[in-house]
Amino acid sequence: MKLRSTGAMALSTMLSAGVALADGAALKVFDWSGYEDQGFFGAYMEKHGAAPTYTFFGSQDEAFTKLQSGFEADLAHPCSDAVRKWVAADLIQPLDPSKLDNWDAMLAEIKDVDGIVIDGEVYMLPFEWGNTGLIYRTDKIADDQISLQLLADPAYQGKVAIPDAASSAYALASLATGNAADYTNLSDEQFQAASDYLRSVHPNVRFYWSDAGQMDQAMASGELEMGWAWNQSELNLIWNETPAKMMRDVDKGIATWVCGYVHLKSSTTPVDQIYDQLNALSDAASGKYIIESWGYPHANAEAYAISDQDLIAQYGFDDPKAFFEGSLFFDAVDPALEAKMLKEFERIKSGF
Amino acid sequence: MRSEATKGLTLSAPATLYVGFLVAAPLAILVAYSLWTQTYVSVDRTPTLANYREAFTDPLVRHLMIRSILIAATVTIATVALAYPIAYFIALRAERKTLWLLLITIPFWSSYLLRVFAWKLILGFNGVMNSALLGLGLIDEPLTFLLYNEFAVVLTLAHAWAPFAILPIYVSIQKIDLSLLEAATDLGNGPVQRFLRVTLPLTIPGIIAACLIIFIPTVGDYVTPSLVGGSDGKMIANLIQVQFGAANNWPLGATLSLLAMMSVGFVAILFVLSSTSLGRRIR
Repeated sequence: MKLRSTGAMALSTMLSAGVALADGAALKVFDWSGYEDQGFFGAYMEKHGAAPTYTFFGSQDEAFTKLQSGFEADLAHPCSDAVRKWVAADLIQPLDPSKLDNWDAMLAEIKDVDGIVIDGEVYMLPFEWGNTGLIYRTDKIADDQISLQLLADPAYQGKVAIPDAASSAYALASLATGNAADYTNLSDEQFQAASDYLRSVHPNVRFYWSDAGQMDQAMASGELEMGWAWNQSELNLIWNETPAKMMRDVDKGIATWVCGYVHLKSSTTPVDQIYDQLNALSDAASGKYIIESWGYPHANAEAYAISDQDLIAQYGFDDPKAFFEGSLFFDAVDPALEAKMLKEFERIKSGF
Repeated sequence: MRSEATKGLTLSAPATLYVGFLVAAPLAILVAYSLWTQTYVSVDRTPTLANYREAFTDPLVRHLMIRSILIAATVTIATVALAYPIAYFIALRAERKTLWLLLITIPFWSSYLLRVFAWKLILGFNGVMNSALLGLGLIDEPLTFLLYNEFAVVLTLAHAWAPFAILPIYVSIQKIDLSLLEAATDLGNGPVQRFLRVTLPLTIPGIIAACLIIFIPTVGDYVTPSLVGGSDGKMIANLIQVQFGAANNWPLGATLSLLAMMSVGFVAILFVLSSTSLGRRIR
C-alpha cells in the first residue's frame, strides 16, 4: 500500500514535471543564434522547468521578411533601429512597464533611445548594447595616427573592411563627414558627402563583411589592419591575444547600438509567461552572466556592481555613460533615406 | 476511345500537376510581383511597369547581368575544355571505367557549400596556397589576388561543376561506333583529322548538353560570389537577394529574377542555334 502510494506520488510528480516542461517550452523566441544560452534566463528556467523554444535568424532583414511572411512566435530580438519599421508593419505590440520588474533598473540613457519607446509606448525591453567602431591593429597603426579618414588613405589599399550593411556604412560615413547628429535625416548634400566618403574608401576595401568571424580572422591574420566592426570583435581579438583595439575617442567617431526583446502580435502564449521570460532576461544576474561570459554590456544598471570588476575595467564598461555621450546612436533612419542608402550602397560596393 | 483518353489524362496528370504547382504557379507569382510596387512595409498591387523601367535604366543592373553572363560563359568554356580530355580518356582508353566514374563523383559526396568554403581556405590570405608558396620561399608576402575577385568565382564554380561536364561528354564519346574511326584511318586520316572530322562532330550533342547544364545554373549562382567573390566578383543573384532581404523590395527582386531568366534563355537559345549550325558545317 505504502509502496503503491509512493509510486503514485512519483508518477504524479513526473506528470506535473512533464506539464511544466511542456509549459516552459511553449514560449517561442525568435532570436540571433547563441542567445538560447540558458545563463540569460535562469529565473525562467527555475519557474517553468524548461527553456523556451528558439528559432534563429541571421540578420534583422531576414527576421523582418520571415515575420512578414507569416512566421509566428512570442518574442523577437531586433535592435532599436528596426523597431519603428516593425511597428509600421504591425508586427509587434506595446509592452506593459508595470509588469516589467526591472524596468526601473534599466540604464537611464538606454530608456531614452528611439525605438525603445515610441509615442509614449514601450515597445522594446533593452537587453544588450555595445559599440560599432573602428578596430585597428595597434602594432601597425599608432594611437595618435588613427582616424576614420585613414580608411580612405591609399596607403591602406586592401587592408580595410566595412560591414555589408548600408545603415552601418552610412553611420561610419556620417561620423567621418561630421554629420553624425543628422544621421537619421541627412540632407541631400550631407548624403552626397557621406556617399563620396564611402566611394573614397571602396578602393581600400578587402571585403564588405557579413559575418563578424570573417572580419575577426582577417584582423588576426594581418590581412586587415582596420575594420568598422562591433565591440565583440575587439574582445575576440583581445582573447586571441592579437594587438588590436577599438578607437574609443568620441571626437574621432564611434557609434552605439541597443538590442532587446519585443512582444510579437502573433504571440499565443499566456502573457504572464512572456513577462516571466522578459523579467528573467533583464535580471541583474543575467546581466552579470552576459558581461562576464560574453563580454557584452547589459541593459540593467545593477548588473555592473555585482560583476567581476577586473573584467568590467578591461572591457571598458566601468563608465557606461562614456559609451553613450557623443557617440552616434543607431536610431531608425527616415524610410525614404534608408531606401536611398541601400540603393546607393549597392552601387558603391560595385564601384559605381 | 473514351477509356483511352481517360488513360492518357491519368498518365499525364501527375506531371501536369507537378509542373503546374512547382513551375507554372511560382512563375505566375513572380510575374505578378514584378508588376506591383513596394511602399515602405506593404505592397501596392496596382499593375505598373515601373520596376522594369528602373531595372532597364539602372547601369548597375546591366553591369551585373553582363558580368554574370561572362563569368558563367568563362566557367562553361573552362570546365568543358578540361572535361573533354578526361571524358575521352575514360571512354576510350581507361580499363576500369566504373572506378574512374566513381572517382569523378567523389567531390559530390560533400556539400556544395563545404566545397566553396574549402576553396576559401585554399585561396585565403593565410590559406593553403599562400602558406605553401611562402614555405617554399617563392613569395615574400601572401598573394591577395587569389581571393575576392572574379577569378576565385570562376575557379570555384569550374571545380564544383566539373562532373556535370564530364558525364554527358563521356556518354556521347562512349556511343561512337569504333568502326567509324577505323574507316577514317583506312581512308587516310591521321589522328588529328580523325578527331576533328569524326569524334568531335559526333560528340557535339554531349558538348551542348554539358554547356547548358553548366551555364544555366552558374549565371544565377548566389553563394559562390557572396563567399569568395568580394565586391569585384558580385553577380546578379546577389543583387536579387538584396531586394528580397535588406532592401525589402520583393517587386523589384521579382523583376530582376525575370530579367535574369530571360537573359539566360536568350543566351542559351543563341548558343544552341549557333553550335548546331557549326556542327553541321564540320560534318
